Amino acid sequence: MSSLAGAVEAAGPTSSLHGSGSLDPDDFPVPAGREEEWRFTPLRRLRGLHGDAALDLGKVSVEVDADSDITVGKAKHGDARIGTALVSSDRVGARAFAGFGEATIVTVPPGVVAARHVGINVVGESAEHGAAGHILVEVGANASAVVVLQYAGSATLADNVEFVVGDGAQLSVVSLQDWADDAVHLSHHAALVGRDATFAHTAVSLGGSVVRIAPSVRYSGSGGNAELRGVYFADAGQHLEHRLFVDHNEPNCRSRVTYKGALQGDGAHAVWIGDVLIRVEAEGTDSYEANRNLVLTDGTRVDSVPNLEILTGEVVRAGHASTSGRLEDEHLFYLMSRGIGLKEARRLVIRGFFGELIGQIEVPELADRVMSAIEAELEKGM
Amino acid sequence: MTEQPQFVRACAVDDISDPGTFAVELSGTPLVIVKSDGEIFALDEFCTHEEVSLADGEIYDHTVECWLHGSCFDLRTGKPTGPPASKPLATYQVRIDGDDVLVSLPPAE
Repeated sequence: MSSLAGAVEAAGPTSSLHGSGSLDPDDFPVPAGREEEWRFTPLRRLRGLHGDAALDLGKVSVEVDADSDITVGKAKHGDARIGTALVSSDRVGARAFAGFGEATIVTVPPGVVAARHVGINVVGESAEHGAAGHILVEVGANASAVVVLQYAGSATLADNVEFVVGDGAQLSVVSLQDWADDAVHLSHHAALVGRDATFAHTAVSLGGSVVRIAPSVRYSGSGGNAELRGVYFADAGQHLEHRLFVDHNEPNCRSRVTYKGALQGDGAHAVWIGDVLIRVEAEGTDSYEANRNLVLTDGTRVDSVPNLEILTGEVVRAGHASTSGRLEDEHLFYLMSRGIGLKEARRLVIRGFFGELIGQIEVPELADRVMSAIEAELEKGM
Repeated sequence: MTEQPQFVRACAVDDISDPGTFAVELSGTPLVIVKSDGEIFALDEFCTHEEVSLADGEIYDHTVECWLHGSCFDLRTGKPTGPPASKPLATYQVRIDGDDVLVSLPPAE
């Protein structure tokens, strides 16, 4: 009989990529570089964030700009509100959770519709020492808010950002990684989306030496909707990595993941890992994930890996796509045949490529800024 | 007048078996020192395909082969001789001073 027992699938982690989440750093060995979750990341450039480097010496400030109907506060470890959305799946996330001194908590009370976006500015003073951070954004039932999270300056930062979206609430987040050239930033953005709630998250990664952002979504009720978008532009020597995880743990929820990036210059490296897990109980799931990369010069590298883990057949849709390629000659030819020069034609095609996503950023002046920043990057490479 | 290369001690000759490798970091540059048929070479430590140390690679026919995906590099020139790597490794001049292996930084042209 014992031989038969081995034939039955043993109870193990449901997801092979995001198996055993934990907030205890000791549950994760120090990565050596060949592990599935680390194999694309240049560990040598992380300044020990993945190892045992101290996380209490770095200077990173967090400032919140919000209207008076939104509560802004600080909290220490042990506050019951912290850690509800976050399930870390790697050592750096768990170390950041164990190592932060004071968390910033932004609360939008139930039913409040914020008239103006909430600004959260994270500014680093120096990349010399490691720092850990924690931010929690709570949006009460049937409330609505737009949050703009901006990272700037120099830092070696490991942080976690939690979004708890109440039933029927709407939260849009734009996270702008506009770091100085020497910054190293590893971050988890974890959302818990309530019943019939909508969560939109746009990651815009432009600056920094190594930036690794891991946005994740779980649902706390049926009918939730998550839109995860991303825009990135990797320059020479830059490593920009986005690791998406949508955990469909409730029935009749929807998710869309769309990330677009461009690469230019020697050693520019973009990594995109998507994972959508549709659990047995998540019947009626509607999900799609896509990643598009534009390779503008020689010497760049793209790693794009979409994953789907589907445990029920009763889904509305579950798909994924990934493309990495050069600018299409035919697109350029079409524009040039109408009298537009090559430089301008390239600019227009790239503008169109990113425009679909940048146009959805809820704060118009920020959308303009992102488009201008991308055009400035392009100008450098021409 | 061209600038004379600076030679820095990397290891002892006997630190490396033949054929064999020795990983060392000089002025922040990770290098692999390779001995093959009595000759000693110095190259960048990491494969240009992925971040894999060539100190764990296999040495044969004046080639170092990355253990993970099989990229091969010529020990003399650093040029890739087998895929998937397509970019060369930097190579460094080596001088033997008694029992010491000295390596020049920056890389040889």
